[in-house]
Amino acid sequence: MKKFIALIFIVSFSSIILAGTKGVLYIAENETPENLDPANATNSTVDQLLVGVYDTLVQFTAGETTVTPRIAKSWSVSNDGMKYTFNLRNDVLFHDGSSLTAEDVKFTLDRLVAAKGNTMNDLAFYKGAEVVDDYTISLLLESPFGPFISGLSRIYLINKDLVQSNLGDDNGRAWLAVNEAGSGPYKITKFKPTEEVVLEAFEPYWKGWSGNHVSKVVFVYISEPSTQLALLNSGDIHIAPDLTVDDKVGLRSKMGFKVDIGAAATPLYFQLNTQGKKIMQNPLFRKALVMSFDRGLHLKSVLQGFGNMPDGPLPSNWPGHKKGTELRFNLNSAKKIIKDNGWTGTRLLVRYLPAIEEEKRAVEQFQSNLAKIGITLDTEGMTWPTQAATVQKLETTSDINMIYNFPSFPDPHAILNTSFNGKLTGYNGGYNWSQYSNNKVDSLLNKAASSSDQKERANLYSQVQQLVGSDNVVITVSNPGSVVALSNKVEGYIYNVAHHQTFNYMDIGLK
Amino acid sequence: MPLAFIKNIFFYIGQRIILTIIALVVLSFITFSLSYIVPGDAALVAAGPNAGKVKIEQLRREMGLNLPFHEQYIIYFSKLSKGDLGKSWFTHQPILEDIKDLLPASTELVFFAMLFNILIAIPLGVLAATKRDTKTDLSIRILVMFGAGIPIFWLGLLLQHFLAGEAELFPIAGRLSFSNRNFESNSGFILIDSIVQGEWSVFVDSLWHIILPSFTLSVLFIAVITRTTRSTVMKALEEDFIILARSKGISEFRVIVKHALRNALVPTVTILGMQIGWMMGATVLVEEIFGRPGIGKYAVKAVTQSDIHAIVGVVLIVGVIFIISNLIVDIIHFFLNPRLRNS
Repeated sequence: MKKFIALIFIVSFSSIILAGTKGVLYIAENETPENLDPANATNSTVDQLLVGVYDTLVQFTAGETTVTPRIAKSWSVSNDGMKYTFNLRNDVLFHDGSSLTAEDVKFTLDRLVAAKGNTMNDLAFYKGAEVVDDYTISLLLESPFGPFISGLSRIYLINKDLVQSNLGDDNGRAWLAVNEAGSGPYKITKFKPTEEVVLEAFEPYWKGWSGNHVSKVVFVYISEPSTQLALLNSGDIHIAPDLTVDDKVGLRSKMGFKVDIGAAATPLYFQLNTQGKKIMQNPLFRKALVMSFDRGLHLKSVLQGFGNMPDGPLPSNWPGHKKGTELRFNLNSAKKIIKDNGWTGTRLLVRYLPAIEEEKRAVEQFQSNLAKIGITLDTEGMTWPTQAATVQKLETTSDINMIYNFPSFPDPHAILNTSFNGKLTGYNGGYNWSQYSNNKVDSLLNKAASSSDQKERANLYSQVQQLVGSDNVVITVSNPGSVVALSNKVEGYIYNVAHHQTFNYMDIGLK
Repeated sequence: MPLAFIKNIFFYIGQRIILTIIALVVLSFITFSLSYIVPGDAALVAAGPNAGKVKIEQLRREMGLNLPFHEQYIIYFSKLSKGDLGKSWFTHQPILEDIKDLLPASTELVFFAMLFNILIAIPLGVLAATKRDTKTDLSIRILVMFGAGIPIFWLGLLLQHFLAGEAELFPIAGRLSFSNRNFESNSGFILIDSIVQGEWSVFVDSLWHIILPSFTLSVLFIAVITRTTRSTVMKALEEDFIILARSKGISEFRVIVKHALRNALVPTVTILGMQIGWMMGATVLVEEIFGRPGIGKYAVKAVTQSDIHAIVGVVLIVGVIFIISNLIVDIIHFFLNPRLRNS
């Protein structure tokens, strides 16, 4: 009898907690996910899937740039900034029904280190973990690292027992590439990476299901923008992130649809090779280049207004942003510099990804403007691995390279350190493709990274932007918005600035 | 069947199989070399942002990319000879498994494109040849020029927009409607499995989804086969044996089909055989537009990531299909051509 009552209770309880899930949400994606491994969550296509499948210790709520608790209820930092102690929730279940404990957190991080997970690239100071009890864990660092908490927002917690039994000889990479071991609100029920991925609501999710949520999410992989548009028009899909700018403009005034413009933080740069040929090493010559690109025109004609006017390499709404560090468009002044110094007739080479329309159009404008001041810009379009390979040696780095910065978390470190630290130049395996090395900048970046005083950090990053601006290292081409076309049946869509090109499908419901 | 004939056919097939194996070895070497020469660094891509030199070097060693070219190829070839195409550096799955999952979808597409090709091109070619220099011939020749000149990508978009999007006669994308996507296909060939399992609604749905993409894929090939058939049938119609057949009072239909077309088919079959391989290589465009899974999409992803073993794997599989289809053509020739049979 007791069992019967318990069963009735469970069934009723399940129906209550699932009251908020209804309908199937269809989302188009142009890139196919190469795998499901949380170690690979720096890849936005993979991250977009995993964001609702796994939990993290901390999170950035969609649309926010401040970190909030998730599995960690609270945390404290030691005085030397090298020990972070977290108190964990005790009501979190993995999708196989087992409980999430501190052991799982430790295993997650240790496995990422052993598997050389990409998500650990920004957490290189992580030394190890000490399990205090089932729901308390201390994470140890080799040296203080200010953005450590922010960096944990992309560390997806995995089920130790499940992964350990499928570890194989590759730290579970093959298994986790096609299976999941999470505790998030959705579980993956079908993974066909070139076709579709299906996720279903996980009934006992610790956060419950109050509000409007869907019971099933289907990611459909459609690379052709016109096909995405046709499917959106026919009602087959609800969210189409990859339409052409013109189509998005068209949908803004069309009944039944809406277009969301997320304040993304993925700046696009022309990185100027500061260690290249002699003329490129001259900051005055680079100054002329910086003044030769019209960002306003780019925003208006290429992005059709979908974005923010860039003001330096850091998005202007981020902490630590310093106004006016990068020179504005002034073709006459640029022309004068080139003429006065006898640099007319100089030939430069830019490398870029022609598959990305925005890069192609920016190169066209730059080429045309430079021609007006007497500089010939040769262009070389290539694929990402090829372009990345060319910057691994100084002698093969072109004069100018185009690259987006996709920060792993919304902290100035994630953008400025990646693009300007001398230890992360292209030939050092980083994305500082200007091959820019300035001891003062490096020292400021390192000091800011090791400080946990946010005011001090903001001040240090402001100095970095000033130095980088006066050295004319990059041209910030744009701060494109994340523009996504939606059916008006969708509610709760908010772009997640902390996970680039990503949104929280778990917060979305259908009308 | 005389013993000499059986001996001949076995000798002929044996010879072709040996040549096929040599061709595959050469193909693997060329593809591997090309992938090696093309600039790109898979270790750098795999390492992710802010990885640093040390980690990239560690990954390069783990991936075997630090070894000289000949050592990398020998290791690869020794695995290949055991049927192991290696693991993808990005999907972390055996490449053979990845391809096995995707090949049926591409094969179904090519099969139907070939069906359209044969059913449309050969009758059109014969019609043009028999109505030589008439309005019918002219119209067919204009159609052929259109088919040969129109880019597959553009045609696909047009058909999708007008016939699927506007007229709603066909589905826009995918292999199945969302409502049927729970269908479990054991072999990956949805059309076959749906018949075997008696799931007729799935069969019809899948058939409906394949018509536009396969027709799009076939158009260029239809143009080629129509032209070839037209010229070979025209040539055959001028031969003495046709005059003889007509003088015997055989019906015109029989003269054309049994005598002219049969003789004209030899070059057509040769081209059809090669077209299977070409079609396999061209599936990517159609798969992209119509949102279908397949090896074309997989190959593009592998190329953009410099996933060398996956690229070589796809090329080898397409190469095998190309070579096998040519082997079949050779065998058909053996039966069609009496000179080969008796040599």
